[in-house]
Formats: sequence, structure tokens, C-alpha cells
Amino acid sequence: MELSLFDAAARGFLNILHLKVFLAMMIGVSIGTFTAVAPQGLGMPLVYAIALPIVIKWEPITGIALLIGASSVSAICAAYLPILFGIPGGSGSQATVLDGYPMGKRGEGRRALGASFMAGGMGSLIGTLTLVLAIPVTRPLIYLMGSPELFVVMLWGLSMVAVLAGRRPIKGLIAAAFGLLLATIGQQAQSGIMRFVFDQPYLLDGISISIIALALFGIPSALDLALTKLGVEQQPVPLKGSLFDGVKDTLREWWLVVRCSFVGVWVGIVPGLGSQVVDWLAYGHAAQTSKNPANFGKGDVRGVIAPESANDAKDGGDLITTLLMGFPQGVVTALFIVALLAWGYLPGPEMLKKNPEVIFSVVWIQGISGIIGTLVGFVLAAQLAKLAEVRYTFMVPLMFIFILMGAFSVNRDPIDLLVVITFGILGYFMRRFGYPRPAMILGLVLGDLMEKYLYRSVASYGFSWLGRPAVIVLFILAAASLVLTVRGRLKGREDSPTSLGGAMARTADES
Amino acid sequence: MTRGYSFSVFALLVFLFYPIISLEPVFSQTDFYQGKTVTVVASTAPGGTGDLRVKALVPFLRKHIPGSPTVVIEYMEGGGGRKAANYLFRTARPDGLTVGAMSSGVLGLQIMRESGVMYDIDKFIYLGAPETVGHQIIYTRKDLGLSNLEKLRTKPGIRIGAQSVGHVSYVAGRFFAYFLDLKDPKFIAGYSAPEVDAALLRGELDARANLATSALRRNPDWFEKGLMDFHAIMEIPKGAKHPRLSHLPEIESFAKTDREKKLITMWRIFRLVGYPYVMPPGTPKERVDVLQEAMRKALKDPDFHREFQKLVGDEVEPVMPEELAKVIRDVPRDAEVIDLLKNLSGSAPLPPR
Repeated sequence: MELSLFDAAARGFLNILHLKVFLAMMIGVSIGTFTAVAPQGLGMPLVYAIALPIVIKWEPITGIALLIGASSVSAICAAYLPILFGIPGGSGSQATVLDGYPMGKRGEGRRALGASFMAGGMGSLIGTLTLVLAIPVTRPLIYLMGSPELFVVMLWGLSMVAVLAGRRPIKGLIAAAFGLLLATIGQQAQSGIMRFVFDQPYLLDGISISIIALALFGIPSALDLALTKLGVEQQPVPLKGSLFDGVKDTLREWWLVVRCSFVGVWVGIVPGLGSQVVDWLAYGHAAQTSKNPANFGKGDVRGVIAPESANDAKDGGDLITTLLMGFPQGVVTALFIVALLAWGYLPGPEMLKKNPEVIFSVVWIQGISGIIGTLVGFVLAAQLAKLAEVRYTFMVPLMFIFILMGAFSVNRDPIDLLVVITFGILGYFMRRFGYPRPAMILGLVLGDLMEKYLYRSVASYGFSWLGRPAVIVLFILAAASLVLTVRGRLKGREDSPTSLGGAMARTADES
Repeated sequence: MTRGYSFSVFALLVFLFYPIISLEPVFSQTDFYQGKTVTVVASTAPGGTGDLRVKALVPFLRKHIPGSPTVVIEYMEGGGGRKAANYLFRTARPDGLTVGAMSSGVLGLQIMRESGVMYDIDKFIYLGAPETVGHQIIYTRKDLGLSNLEKLRTKPGIRIGAQSVGHVSYVAGRFFAYFLDLKDPKFIAGYSAPEVDAALLRGELDARANLATSALRRNPDWFEKGLMDFHAIMEIPKGAKHPRLSHLPEIESFAKTDREKKLITMWRIFRLVGYPYVMPPGTPKERVDVLQEAMRKALKDPDFHREFQKLVGDEVEPVMPEELAKVIRDVPRDAEVIDLLKNLSGSAPLPPR
């Protein structure tokens, strides 16, 4: 029996009213904060990869609380490095450095951070509210979705390779094809045929995606960190000024926050735009609509407010595509889908129909952790700045311990350790030679689903499914999104970084 | 005198320690489980009905094991239950702290000599099973107008949906198609359980076989409003009439030969073992005794019956340890019947009758 949306929202909230869920969210918030502030190139893909093997053994809502708590807050706290150290933050906070660092240098570091937290909090709220509004709008459409339509949606998702491959489309295609190939290992559900199993029970169900993700993102990061000994070498600017000046600035610029938040939501929803474009688009929008654009780049607080609000709102848009359509917008959402699949949820129309309360739990966790993240930023501003000085000698062993423990915890199978090391080495060389790992994960995640939907479509309808109206519409949308993405990249080489094309051209792969 | 004194001291010691010595096995096992963690390795994924079956039992297992150890569930889905069974048989330490909650397919996989089976069902130690009744039914969409068996038989190319090749509902669908003599049926696997129902409603599929209890629980309106045509039932165990579907013809009434009857008997036994709880071979007998006794108490506990009904929606129909071991020992292993079962469990075209 299907729940009404009101009941689903209420149940979604009740689901999170458990101490363990709250604790998991707080752990996630702590991890996300540390990841955002630590300068060693840690990112959410690494956090998700390490956390996945652990959390998929938990109850779903508890695991979701940790993952969403981490990603939600990491965006809010991503402004530390740009403002205090002049280092571009993680994806989505790179534009902040243009005005954040000059503000820090002239003794307005606290003001910039205050503006960033407030804008981030408001952006996160707007993104979450948009996600809530999208649920009733999308729900009637899912009844039109049969296997043929779902196959095209997955195909559309696979076109994300164009985004994840950055400027290396051929290598992206190779990586995605390898991911698709890996997805064929194991017993095929539709025919019962064993593929690439070689009589090995370990391969009966294929190789765990969470182990491959852990290997591909964990080991290369740890190796890189150990080999490059990366860390913050320069001293931070002194933390001066008042956080509340930044809050007042943000409230005064509320209309800019709203506009940029919707830029963020749009980037999140529209397939084809990568996470790295969001801050540049918002920054460009703020500069272009300003009466005195000459101030941008010289420490204008609007240059902090715009990218930060957009960056945080984008998470809501990302989740609209991930939860309601079922395909990822980037590697973090791809890994989130891996977790949902492991818990038995099939993101997309199926989940919206059968588990709307879980979607609402995600919404609640996203909203609450956004608020907590903002408060953490305000209260612990000075202390968090010190986290940025953590040395790689502390991080590297810790990362290896988590990676190996995480891999072993999936099945307690020693073979998993061999697999994680093998794929870790593969990931290191993929990174070194510019083969985008997110594209491979995308192929791996979508391969199984695409095969299933295609088989079901052909088995039930022959080839007449190609003529179904919804299939045709979805094909057109997928093709348009692919063309726009590719055109944006080609055009972007000549454009300024704050235009759409320029921003997309900046999108290096997350390899 | 000295000898008498020594004897007195010895007698006194025996008197003082006799209760402890005589109760040693009980105390030692109580001590053994106290503060320990028993891991239930479940061959199911978290979140589904299979998981709920395990979750319903776990608190009562803890309650009835002396020493009330912590009982945790470790999910090890995969290979149709092979992964967990292989782990239990080959890797898990037989120390009394690991229990397997197996899938019902584990038995059939070995009997049918499927690949990837690295366990021996005759060597597992059986603790019992909470649920043995599992009537299977087949139904079609109402709008197809297949209101009786004759119409069903004459309709060519009926699309029967199921989870995966070898899955219980897939094999049941092929059993019904075979015994009801359906004309060129198509078996379409690759759905999750709720997806099959949705595909049926959308018209992507025409029919499915399912557990009667699951169909009633998930879609009561299909029965109440007559949204589906129900055609036949496979009673498990044989002769156990379903309270609402006893009017449906039983599958064995369509069997034409002894071989076919034996096939249905074999399949019924596979289903009858339900979702067995096992321990690794080599587990010390005194720990097996403790867990078997705890399982007996748990399976009889009225609170467990209520919890199981609440979570799973089914009645508890337990099989106790000895009975379960006997059923498995007595499974017929007739090669000719196994070959036919293998055919019906796979994706090859149905054999002629």
C-alpha cells in the first residue's frame, strides 16, 4: 500500500528520531567538517568510499544519516581554505578564493566566514525545500515509467560520462566501458548464465561495488598523499573581524542568495553540469548583475556569498536527480546510489513509489545537518582553522587502516583485501594516466540496471518499445543534454571562466 | 585416624563442590555465552521480508540462550544463498558463536549439483526453522480475460515475471506453466518482488507465481476487488488447505506420471524446510544442545509468534531441530527427477510432457 506524501514526510521524520541516527549524523557532520577543512586533498568521494563498506551493514536510515550528514556539512565548511589560506577549496568552493582571501588578508576573515556559513545555510535550506517540492511534482510521472522508459533514463545517466570524463572523452568512454564490463561479472539474473565466474564462488555475484569504490578512491588518495607529502605550507591569515558582520551582509544580500541558490539547484538537477561549475556560474551571475562589478576579485563579500549559497543549494538539486530519477550527477551521488542499492532501495521511480518515507528521511537529514553545519561553523570557527594544519604523517596511516578494515568488513573475506589492493593499484594508474575513475564507477553502477531494463523491455515488447511516446521524449531529453554538455565544453575553451561554457571547461575530472 | 581425617576432608570437598561439578556443563555454557556475541549470518539482504524473518527471531534467540548473549545479524547475501552457506561450512569457526539463517534455496542448489556449492547439507547442524508453510499460487491480470484454465491454456505467449532465474517464484512459475500445459509461455526475470507487481499492473507482464501470503499481504485488493484471476495452487505442505484459496486446483492433480509426482514431492520438501537455521559442522555438542534448546523455546514463545506475525505477516509454523534434520536426510535424490527439476529451475525451454 502506498503512503500519501504527508504520511511519508511524517514517517520520514519519525525514522530519524533515534539516538543512533542522531549520533550517526553527528559523526557524519564531524567527518564532513574535517574533510572540508583538512588540506590534504581529502574529498567526499574518499569519505564515501571509506564509509560505504561500513555503513551498508547498518540500518539504512543510520547509514544515510552519516553519509548525508558528511556531504551536507562539507559544502558549508568548504570556505575555510579559500578564505584563510588562499587555497581553492573542494569542488564548488573554488570561486570563493577570489574575494574570500583578499577579505582575509585585510582582516575580515571572520566576516567572510560568517557570510559563507550564513549563505551556505540559506542555500542548503533552499535546496532542501526545492527537493521537497519536487517530490509531489515528480510522483505522478513515475506511473508512466515502465522498463523501456527506465532503460532510457539509465542511458541518460550514462551520458554523465561526458561530465565525469572532463576533457578526456575517449579515456572517459574507456573507463565507463570497463565499468560496464565489470558489472557483467557474476550470475546473470535474467538467464542464470554465469559470466566471468571461472567456477569461483567469490565471483558468483560479481565484485562488490563498494569495495571497488573504496579501492579506486581510497588507495590512490592515500598513496598520493604519502608520495607528495601535501599539506598547507603557508601560514593562514589571522582570523580577525566579526562573524556577525558576515551574517548581516548575507541577510542584506538575501535576493542574491535566493538567485544563486536556484543557480545551484539548477546545476544539481540538470544532467550534464558537473559539480565544479556551480560556484563559477553563481560568481559570474553575481558579478554580471552587480552595479559595481569592478569590486569583484578585490574582496567583495558578494563574491563569497554567491558561490557558497549556490554550492550548498546544489546538494538539494543533486538529490532530486539521484533519488527521483535514479541516476547520479557525480561520483558522490553515484556512491550514494551504491549504498541505497546495498540497502535494498532502487533509487528513482521505484523508490519514490515504494519508499517515499526514506526519501523524506534523506530530506530531513539534509536539512537538519545543514543547520548543524552552519552552527558548527559559527561556534567553532577558530578551532576549525587549526584542523587545517593536520600533517600528512597522521593522515596516511589512518587512511590505510580505514581502507583495509573497510574492505575486510564487507564480507570478512580475505579475498576482498586482495581485490581492494588490486583495484587500488589500478585506480592509482588510472589517476596517473588520466582515466577518470568516476566514469568507471558510473558504468559499474548503471551497467547492471541498464542490462536489466533493456532485457525486460525487449522480452516484453520486442522492439516496439522504441516507439513508446515517453521513450521518445526521454531519448530527446537525453540527447539534448548530451549535446549541450559537449557543446558547452567545446565553447568553453574560448569563454570566460564565469560563463556557462567557461565554467564547464574548467570542470576537470575528479580523477 | 589420619586416613579417616583425609577421607573426611575429601568427603567434605565432594559435598561442597558436588553441585558445581554436577552442573558443570550447564554452568559452563551459561558462562560461555554470557557477555559473548552470537553472530547470525543471514543469507538475505537487509531490508526485505527475509531480513524481517531473521529480525523477528533474533531477540527471542537472545532471550532463550542462557547468559543472554548479544546477538547480531551479519548480512551475507549472494549466490542464491550459496555465499552464506559456503561461509558457514568452510570459514566460520565452529565455536558455537556463529549461526546461519539460510535461504530456502540452499538445499535445492546442492541436490541439483549447481556450481559454486561448497557445502554439504548433510553435515550442517540444524537448529530448526520458523516458517514452513508456503503455498504458491499463479495469477494473471484480469483484463486479459483468462477467467478459467481453458482460456489460460489456449492463450499463447503468456509473459510470466519473476525475480531471477532459479528464484523460488521463477521456478514456481515454470512448474505451473509446465503442469498446466501453458502454450509457449515466456519467462521474464530480472525484477525485484515489488517490481513484478508493478509490471503486472502496467501490462508489461501477464502473470506471476507468488507466495499466497505475500500476495495477500501486499495486494489485498487484488483478492477483494477481483483485480487478478487466480488459477492454481501448490500446497506446502501437501494437504494444508489455504483458508482463502482452497477452491483453487492443486498442482499435483495435473501430474500425469510418477516421475512428475515425485518432482512435486521433491519441490515441496525443498520448500518445507523453510528458512533453516544451521550451525557449522564440528560445533561442540554441548553448545549445539544449548542453542537447539534455545531455538525450541524461541519457536514456541507466543511473543515470538506475535512479533513474527507483526513483522512478516505470516503465521509461525515451526520445524524443530530433529524434525528438520530428518526431513533433509530423507530428501529423495532420484537422478531422473533431479534432471527434470534442473530443467524447470533453469532458463531452457520447458521439456515436453
